[in-house]
Parts: sequence; structure tokens; C-alpha cells
Amino acid sequence: MNKQTKVWLVLSILLSLLAIGSSCGGGTTTTNQNANAGGAGAGSATTKYDGATGTISGVISYNGAAVTPRKIDTSADPVCGQANPNLTTEETVVTDGKLANVFVYVKEGSVEGGKKIADYAWDTPATAVNLDQKGCQYSPHVMGVMVNQKISITNSDKTQHNIHPTPKRNPEWNKTQGIGQAPIEETFRQAEVLVPVKCNQHPWMKAYIGVLRHPLFAVSGANGTYEIKGVPPGTYTVAAWKEGGAAGQETPMQVTVTANGTAKADFTFGAATTSGKPSLQMMPAIEFPMLSRK
Amino acid sequence: MNKGLNRFAIFVACATFFLIIAGALVTSNDAGLATPDWPLSNGQFFPEMVGNLFYEHGHRMVATTVGLLTIALAIYIRLKEKREWIWKLALFALIGVCAQGLLGALTVKFLLPAGVSTAHATLAQLFFCTTVSLAVFTSRSWMEAQPIEEEKGTLPLRYLCAAALVTIFLQLILGATLRHSAEWNEHLPVHLVLTHIGGAVAVTLALGAAAITTLRRHRDVSFLTRPAMLALGLLALQLFLGVAAYLARLSSPNDPQPLNPMISTTVAHVACGALVFVTTIVLTLRAYRVLPGTADNRGWDARPQES
Repeated sequence: MNKQTKVWLVLSILLSLLAIGSSCGGGTTTTNQNANAGGAGAGSATTKYDGATGTISGVISYNGAAVTPRKIDTSADPVCGQANPNLTTEETVVTDGKLANVFVYVKEGSVEGGKKIADYAWDTPATAVNLDQKGCQYSPHVMGVMVNQKISITNSDKTQHNIHPTPKRNPEWNKTQGIGQAPIEETFRQAEVLVPVKCNQHPWMKAYIGVLRHPLFAVSGANGTYEIKGVPPGTYTVAAWKEGGAAGQETPMQVTVTANGTAKADFTFGAATTSGKPSLQMMPAIEFPMLSRK
Repeated sequence: MNKGLNRFAIFVACATFFLIIAGALVTSNDAGLATPDWPLSNGQFFPEMVGNLFYEHGHRMVATTVGLLTIALAIYIRLKEKREWIWKLALFALIGVCAQGLLGALTVKFLLPAGVSTAHATLAQLFFCTTVSLAVFTSRSWMEAQPIEEEKGTLPLRYLCAAALVTIFLQLILGATLRHSAEWNEHLPVHLVLTHIGGAVAVTLALGAAAITTLRRHRDVSFLTRPAMLALGLLALQLFLGVAAYLARLSSPNDPQPLNPMISTTVAHVACGALVFVTTIVLTLRAYRVLPGTADNRGWDARPQES
């Protein structure tokens, strides 16, 4: 191998290694978790609130372009097609301009008297929350639980499913549940908004679980309404999260809750959703001035 | 030269290519975790292959078959082949397929960590490269190749081919990294896409230089021009498939599930990438077989010593 060849070969390899190296660094990871959701950092909170409480309620509206749920191709598993022939997407479910499946929760704020909401502790409910697989869909599509609250996962279908939550702060797991198999009980130990759940056998199946240290959350119903009861008087940031894209879209709002009062917090979502990571657009930086119209 | 052995080696190489396609289908359909256990699927040898289990368990079945074929090939080579280094290469292939199975297990057990998945995809290409090499080394054309005494030009073609091969392999690693950096419902990381595009430019230049040099210097040597022309054709197809896969992938995050054409274009892109790689391997091996490395160095192993 002569000198010129060696130089050429080494340069070629170095350039390629540099390209790989540059690709490994500098990347940003976008998650749809909210580490501070519901005072996630308040693991040592022991004070319980036992005073008068108020309510936060509201309506989630949708003012974007009309959304027609997309039909899902279930041909990969005939049982799904028989059980649910009209299976459609649940990402944006709008009825008379009102939006369902929006997760609304108290994100942060101060209780009257100055203490942070994260400084208070709530008892974990003894009852489990059910997540069912029926008609090759998760039901409910969006739900909330408290940290360490049991989630009972059932399979009502005549086919086997595979439950696979993909949290960022909690341990990830993946379990198969056969036909008629006993419920699977699981918990999440860290607050996280929201944990996506998928089925790797039926990739259209999705659910989202909001995990909080407090019970101050709700999911909007078919008519877009929600209600969060038992909120200590104070000023809070209430956030509404809607599914869409890779990370969903979250809208915050400041509300003040009074004892025995009801604070209104109405949210409106449009067609655009935040997907977290920017996509590489079709040559976004290249413009041709000579072709542009003045 | 044993004709039966060569045919069997070609068959194993074709089976490996089919396995790469099966693996690509698993990734594109997001089926890698359709069952949480390994090597059984939901505790069964033959589960009901519905939903994505069809792809995941199908991939395992094809992989098992290729593993058995590799064992058979190694035994066949041990019995019929006198060249000791080919037997060693067959053993290397055997170790490779075992390691590949282990990486497959780790991807399932550790819930598809990107690093392991990328290593699994990369080793797949190396294993394919090994099986194709075995088919080349046992072929009649390899045994009967006549050395070319001198080569025009200052830059030996064999080094051009080797550089192209290294560039393609690094591009394959980049492609595997990109593919496992985002799920079908997430957008691809921009910096990785741009790096992969840069890699495509590098591959085009390196492979283009090697293939065109081959065609210009050795236009009458079909032993070299055939893989060179094939590599150029596959490269053009691969570039087209890359653009098509990217455009199809752009809209994927808005889909309710992995859909065509995203699945078909990305799988075709992976498969064609593997073909570009092995075609370049064939060209490189043949160049080393018949061409001198330097003015005073004849082709590597130019004089057949085989039976």
C-alpha cells in the first residue's frame, strides 16, 4: 500500500467515524413525562390536608378543523375485526365541539397559607383502577391513578394481548395476557404524566395513564366536561393534556380555588398538536429567491 | 471445487437475506416485543401467529432455520473443503449466528434498548457478509480466476474497493442507529437523518469511484465488471428507496398504526442496503483475488492451492 493510498483510506475512515460521532452526541430527548407532575419531587411529604376544599371544573372545547376518526385495519387479527368491526382512532374524539379524553390535573401551586401542594400527602386509594382490553381497544383510553395505586388490567377479548407501558421515570414492563387470564395487577411508583401504554401485538392499541402523588385529576367525558373535587383552597397551575403526535399537547392555566367554591377552568384545543421532536421538513432552509413572487 | 457445497453456500446466503427482510419487518411493524419471552413465544414453540406475533415469531423461525443451515454448512465445509481458512470462516459464521441469536434475546429481555437493537441489526449485515463470502470462496469463478499482472493507475483498485466497503459498513451502522432511534409514531431525530444523508453522499462517492474505476480499467474482465455494475445499479436503487422511505416515514407519526407504504419502503431500503454491501464485498474479494496490491505485489492468494 503506497503512501497516497494510505492517506486516502485513513481520511475516508476518519470522516465516517466523525459522522457517526457527531450523530451520537447533541441529540435531545423529548419525553411526554412531567417530572414535577403533582409534586413528584415531594416524596417525603407527610402533612395531610384536612380543611375545607373546593372544586375545579370546566369544559374542554375543540376549535380545530373537523376531525374524522380513522378506521383501523384489524386484518392482522380476525378476532379484533369480528369483535369491533368499526374500530376507529381515539386520538381526537369530538362531540358537538367538545373534546373527550383530555387529562386535567393540578400541576403545581400553593395552598392558602403558603405551603406548596407538593408538601401535602394523600392516602393511596385501596381500590384498584381497571384498565380493560375490549374489542381490541384499551378502555378507558385515558385514565389517572395515584402513585402506588393498583391498576387491574383485564382482557375481555377472545384473543391474547400484550400490555406494554413505556414510562420514562418508572420501570418499563411488557406482559402477555391470554384469553380469560386472571387480571394483571401493577403499580407505578413515581409520578409521571402520562405513561403511554401500547400492545405490541395490536399496534393501534394505545392508552395513557397519568400517575400523580395526589388525587387532583380528572379526564374529560364525551361531553367535554370534567370535575376535580377535594382541592384545598389556593392558587394552582392546572394543566390539560391531550393526546397527539409523539408527546401530546399540554396547556396550563392559573386558577384560584376557594373553600367550598368552584373554580372554572375551560380549555380549548385546536388541530395542531405538539409532537415534541421537530421533524426534518422538506429542505426548510433552502430558499430560491429568484423563484419567489414579490 | 465442490459444486454441491457452493450451491449450498449460496442457499444459506439467500436464506440469510430472507432473514434480514424478516428482521426488518419486525422493526417496521413495531413487533419486536409482541411476546415478552424468549426463545419461546408466549411459552409456546408454535403460538397462534396473530397480530404482530406473526412477524416476531416468524422472524424467530427463520432465524432458527438459518442457524441450523449454518451448522450444516460448517459440517459440509469440514467434510468437503480442504482449505483450512474456509473452515475457520465457517466457524466464524457459526459464532456470528449464535451471537446474533443472543443479541436477539437481549433485545427482547431488555425491552429493545437502542444500542442492542442497533448491534443486532449491524451483526446481521456482518453475518450476511460472511455467508456471501463463503459462497464466493467456494465458487468455480473464484477457483479459476486468473491473476491480472499489472494495473493501470496509481491507486490500486483493491484499496478503492476496501475503502468503499468500510464506508458502506459505517453507513449501515448509521442506518441501524437511525432506525432504532425512534419508533414508528415518533419523528426521526434530525441530526441523525442529516448524518445518514451525509453518509449516503460518502457511499455514493466511494462506491462510485470503485465501480467506475473497475469499469474503466478492467472493462474486459467480467469477473470484476459484473459486481461493479450490479453495485452501481443497486446503489441507484438504494438512493431512490432512501428518499421514498424518508417521505413515507414523515407521515408515519400521524398514522394509527404502522402502515404501508412506510413499511414496504423502509424494509426495501434495509434489504437493498444489505445487497449493496454484499455486492461490494464480492467486488472487493474478487479485486483482491486477481489484482496486484502494488507494482511489486501480485494478487492476494492468486495461485489456487485448493483441490
